[in-house]
Amino acid sequence: MYTLTSVTRTYQKGSHTVSALQGVDLVIEDGEWLAVQGRTGSGKTTLLQILGGLDRPSTGTVNFDGQDLAVLSETRLTEFRADFVGFVFQTFNLLPTLSAVENVEAALVPRRVSSALRRARATQALEVVGLSDRAQHLPSELSGGQQQRVGIARALVKEPKVLLADEPTGNLDGDTRDEIIALLERLWHAHRFTLVLVTHDPSLAGRAQHVGIMSDGKLAVGQGARDR
Amino acid sequence: MFFLTYLRHELRRRMRQAILIAVGLAVGIGLVVTVIAASAGVENAQNSVLHALYGIGTDITVTQAPSPGSHTGGAFSPGSTTQQVDELLNGQLSPLNASAVAAISRLRHVAAAAGGLALTDTKLTIPSAGSLGPGGQPPTNLPAPTSFTVDGVDLAHLGLGPFGSGELKAGRTFAASDRISNVAVVDSNYAMANKVTVGSTITIAQTRFTIIGIVQQPQGGGSTDVYITLARAQALGMGLGVSNLRNQVNMIYVAAASASDVPTVQAEIAKLLPSATVTTSSSLASAVSGSLASAASLISDFGRWLAIAVLMAAFAVASLLTMAAVARRVREFGTLKALGWRSRRIIAQVMAESCVVGIVGAVLGIALGFGGVALVDAVAPPLSATVAQNPGSAPAQDTLFNGSSVQHLQAPGSTSTVIVHLVAPITANALVLAVTLAIAGALIAGAFGSWRAARLRPAEALSQVA
Repeated sequence: MYTLTSVTRTYQKGSHTVSALQGVDLVIEDGEWLAVQGRTGSGKTTLLQILGGLDRPSTGTVNFDGQDLAVLSETRLTEFRADFVGFVFQTFNLLPTLSAVENVEAALVPRRVSSALRRARATQALEVVGLSDRAQHLPSELSGGQQQRVGIARALVKEPKVLLADEPTGNLDGDTRDEIIALLERLWHAHRFTLVLVTHDPSLAGRAQHVGIMSDGKLAVGQGARDR
Repeated sequence: MFFLTYLRHELRRRMRQAILIAVGLAVGIGLVVTVIAASAGVENAQNSVLHALYGIGTDITVTQAPSPGSHTGGAFSPGSTTQQVDELLNGQLSPLNASAVAAISRLRHVAAAAGGLALTDTKLTIPSAGSLGPGGQPPTNLPAPTSFTVDGVDLAHLGLGPFGSGELKAGRTFAASDRISNVAVVDSNYAMANKVTVGSTITIAQTRFTIIGIVQQPQGGGSTDVYITLARAQALGMGLGVSNLRNQVNMIYVAAASASDVPTVQAEIAKLLPSATVTTSSSLASAVSGSLASAASLISDFGRWLAIAVLMAAFAVASLLTMAAVARRVREFGTLKALGWRSRRIIAQVMAESCVVGIVGAVLGIALGFGGVALVDAVAPPLSATVAQNPGSAPAQDTLFNGSSVQHLQAPGSTSTVIVHLVAPITANALVLAVTLAIAGALIAGAFGSWRAARLRPAEALSQVA
């Protein structure tokens, strides 16, 4: 699915040049679960953003199913994200004025789905994550774990090829963290999307098929605890 | 529809800020509406003042000033008994031959032309020679001279001239059969001051006239007290060295075929009558002085610029607040971009929110405008408008006793002052302008915010602290 070749990402911060990624080579197969682990500032999030088309590499190629994301126009990248990518954020990033079901529906708006079908799919997605009784609640009325479930439902409602999760349990307590990871694992088994999960927690990373270690912008990938 | 759902929720969340922006726009819009209405009110007042003098249907007036040093009126020597004098005099303008009216009416682009006589009826008492004091001084108990203005009206064109602006309040107007009858229509102010009504009689040039109607001129009245037929005015009036004014007029009122023809007609009449004074309504408007003119200047200069300044300030505040709101939603917009929302969809949301605020601002602004206009109507003091009684005219008459005779002479500065009450109308055009300005202001604010949202790079937006 993904083939990254000599990807670098640098940017200016005042008078300094920061190298977030340095010559990253990576292959991610269809349906694979890759965990990317590293300390804060190691480049994990930057890698995830490049995989999701939220950012462009400074050099190198990012091949996704035969097309180089690095050279796509902004419009094409937006379409790519709308059609193929689901995101789960550390801080949930729910729209505060919309209810849980409306937040999930927001992911289907670019797909031009009819409002009735959109509502039906959003409701079903919330049911899958166990939140059908919280559909009309605002994010401020949900716990952290519940908000993250809504985030996962939003990411999966469009049946993406890739799910990119950036520290999905970073803001959650111990029990809730386990619940969320178990949920992600269950959904990955059921739908077999490609899952790239960024975390600084080795125990979480170890549950993936492969684990990549980010350090100072460089990536080394090894086998995870799970067999394919 | 998701678009409307999101729009509704967002406006509800930011209601305080939305109302603040709407109120800011409303103040600017309200001021614009009030200034436009006040300006229209002043213009209407000026027009009605001029219409009262020259008639609504009149585009051009033609007069002729008397030659310098000339005067009308007579000299009376005291006799053995007291004499009562009642004369109808043309003292202000040189007479024009009535054939000039026909010549003007035949010009191209002239819809109609009518002649008129603007005269003054003066009544005075000449003391007997025996009652004069040392040095020929008149007795102290001699009644003061009285006078009132009289207009001879062309019955074929009642719509031209000042008579055409009057609104009939009682009785009837002139009929064609009244041409040589001793009937009069009086101004309402004159009727009130002299306690006369329909059916009363008044004396003009020692002739009894029956009042058949009472008219009211707009905005406090014009300069004419009594209207009689042109034929009777010509028969009874006296001019320079003549005992009647047959076939003479001293005012010609002209209606052009269209507003755009007025300058052409003015030029043609000037060629036809080189010594005449030919004036149009627009040239007369600049001759209006008094507090009405001052108010017009104040509204036009200060009022207009104040409204523009307040409006621009409202636009600037709306833009800043909208940009600040977009800045607070950077992470939200970054998330939407991550979900696959295009920039133009996000821009459409921001613009729609601004548009709703603009509409609310327009409604509030119109309400404020109505309030401002009501305030203007309630507290505006009566304004005075002074204008030359007849353009190109000579001064009005005066009466002088010089011991052995009584002479009518000329006194400087014949003007007419009317008092007008300002009524500021709100027109449909002003309301449309108000709504357009409010929405335009809100869209400008939205455009600034949208520009910022469109430039967001998703990765950068998501890295912002919520």
